[in-house]
Amino acid sequence: MAEQRSPSGGWQRREFLGGAALFALAIGIPVAGVSLSGLDEDDAPTDRQRLMMRQVSQAVLPATDTPGAGDVGVGDFVIIALAHGLDGTREPAGSSEMPWAFPEYQRRDGTLRYVDWLEHTLDRSANGDFVRRTIGDQVTLVGRLDEEAFAEGNDAHPWRKLKALILTGYYTSEIGGSQELQFELVPGRFDPVVPLEPGSRAWSSDWTAVEFG
Amino acid sequence: MAGQAQFDAIVVGSGITGGWAAKELTEAGLKVLMLERGRDIPHQTGYETEMKTPWEMPFRGVGDAELYRREYPVQMLNRHFTEYTQGHFVNDSENPYAKAPGSDFNWFRSYNLGGRSLTWGRQSYRWSDYDFGANKRDGHGTDWPIRYEDIAPWYDKVEEFVGIAGAAEGLAQLPDGQFLPPWPLNAVEQATRERILGKWPERVLTVGRTANLTQPHLGRGQCQARSICARGCSYGAYFSTQSSTLPAAQATGNLTLVTDAVVEKVDYDSTTGRVIGVRWVDRKDGTRTKASARMVFLNAGSFNSVHLMLNSASEAMPNGLANSSGVLGTHIMDHPSTLSAMAIMPGFEDVTSYGNRPTGVVIPRYRNMDEMDGAGHTRGYSYQGGALQSGWTRGKREAGVGAAYKNSLQPPGPWRVVLVAFADCVPRASNRLTLDGSKTDPQGIPQLNIEFAFGAEEQAALAQAKADAAEMLTHAGGKVLMGFDRPGPGGSAIHEMGGARMGWDPATSVLNRWSQAHDIPNLFVTDGAQMSSSACQNPSLTYMALTARAADRAVGLLRSGAI
Repeated sequence: MAEQRSPSGGWQRREFLGGAALFALAIGIPVAGVSLSGLDEDDAPTDRQRLMMRQVSQAVLPATDTPGAGDVGVGDFVIIALAHGLDGTREPAGSSEMPWAFPEYQRRDGTLRYVDWLEHTLDRSANGDFVRRTIGDQVTLVGRLDEEAFAEGNDAHPWRKLKALILTGYYTSEIGGSQELQFELVPGRFDPVVPLEPGSRAWSSDWTAVEFG
Repeated sequence: MAGQAQFDAIVVGSGITGGWAAKELTEAGLKVLMLERGRDIPHQTGYETEMKTPWEMPFRGVGDAELYRREYPVQMLNRHFTEYTQGHFVNDSENPYAKAPGSDFNWFRSYNLGGRSLTWGRQSYRWSDYDFGANKRDGHGTDWPIRYEDIAPWYDKVEEFVGIAGAAEGLAQLPDGQFLPPWPLNAVEQATRERILGKWPERVLTVGRTANLTQPHLGRGQCQARSICARGCSYGAYFSTQSSTLPAAQATGNLTLVTDAVVEKVDYDSTTGRVIGVRWVDRKDGTRTKASARMVFLNAGSFNSVHLMLNSASEAMPNGLANSSGVLGTHIMDHPSTLSAMAIMPGFEDVTSYGNRPTGVVIPRYRNMDEMDGAGHTRGYSYQGGALQSGWTRGKREAGVGAAYKNSLQPPGPWRVVLVAFADCVPRASNRLTLDGSKTDPQGIPQLNIEFAFGAEEQAALAQAKADAAEMLTHAGGKVLMGFDRPGPGGSAIHEMGGARMGWDPATSVLNRWSQAHDIPNLFVTDGAQMSSSACQNPSLTYMALTARAADRAVGLLRSGAI
């Protein structure tokens, strides 16, 4: 049964689920990883927002000798993660006085609608339509946003949390975790001193390293 | 089960000490009923997430933060609480507790078979006479009625069964035990050890002594260096009730185990002056049952054992079970702890390690031993931590997008050393547990109310620990990035203890030197509730040794007819 369109328009739960499942099958990731159950309508993205999140994810972590973040479904992961408040994204997102803030994207409880905020922010810096710009332009625009967010004193910039979720989505995916990095659930032994060769890939299954970043 | 079943002993709780009580008592031939308030988690088959990858988890192992905020607001603060392990922790919304105004206490709990033995940090240290003599020396709390020589043979006994990997260092403040081969230090830790020792011979960085098997042991498998222990370990490679004590107890044929049994009262017979059994509520259907026994061991976890004693008040014992002294619930403790220093350690760019060692390092206490050199405090602190290379998560703090950024996150990151201090917690009467006057839990039992604050001694210890840590790591060649000197909320170390303290005098303590109630000879409390001081090292091994010791005593008394 298809549900009503969300206030943000254009999205239907059944289409979204179906699309995500097909997408997951196409790139070989388990559907469980992109489960959308429990998403409130309020958090439901438009098709355009899904495309944008995919493009932005790919701009941050592009295809190299392994697929990029957009390629492995991180755009959708970020949308789900935001709906469930991962990485503190359902905590009040700073003051509406901050230079990057747009109070119209803050909920009454002070939390931010990150996807709406990002869409607005990128469209504004793109002088129009971010999703239709070239990949090169998109990388430049996302890079500018990143520079602003990581400038001195901008610790509360919303982009930092979005970027963090993009990283989480990628390096906990099968491709990011076991191809871009290495993964071994059962090492079987501990070797305390091993030469680190140039080009070595870190272990995404080194849980302490991941926890303490 | 039948309401009038008769047992030699009832053990309340199936965690680290309940498992030991059940093992020791059943192996001595006693018929034992062990009651666990939570669900059954069978060894191996019950570890549902053990072999899962992040991409097989709905929220990639990070978990559903929205759910956690709603139903696990306390448990989610535990570093071992993840999407993989959430089933091994209580749902806070279903298991409420109260806090006194101004008190901040995070009570981390596992209500399931095995209790917190499934999720514990596995660090296993002996206490020394610096610890058992601490109260007498500085006058805080009441004197321990035991010393190291009383417990040493029991440490030997439990260590031989548990299997503890550790390096003998010959330190008076952290006595060596019956060790399996130690886990090795990595290159950075080895260098840090040598550099610190070069300047401060009394500060000995050594590998954490851990209940993870470095070789097969008593039918349990060797540790596979996964370091995901809290999911449960099908190899049985770390000590837990499920892997170790429960199979031993069950092998005797003398154990009856009932799960989902929330014990609400211990029954006391004022004519004989003995406890005669316990009553419990079935967690699933709310039915009430009781059983009788010749003795009762309380191993519900420090605060829950005290809770049960307070809730077992009767006409004969109006202030709570075995509380003629009035000190039941008082002098609770938890180690104040904080990240004292984190430093980048340059010079090791060409080395890494393989596998996940399931332990860190420790720098045992070195203050206030034979010389009183603590600044504003009279006891000790020790550090735990280790050297690690950062992982991909470092990218969350770094500017950059695109291929160069992605490639920069591919290799392991720079080596860092982390030192977390754990300090002694002074036993204070004002830190205490009471029954809440109005709020009840889902079983209708008054909620436990926690009143707790750290004091000036703990603050002073952590301040000195911060300064020392920075000095040591700087001397070792590190660049200190950060350090803190304020403790987290009480409970953060998950070493809550005290409340039914041991002591010489029945007028000022609940238990005697055998973990036996002064007031009731067939009641034993052998979990953390019995502790009279906190030391600054992890307490579980000491709880185990005291439990084995008390069980031996109880069996002797039973056989002699004294109880």
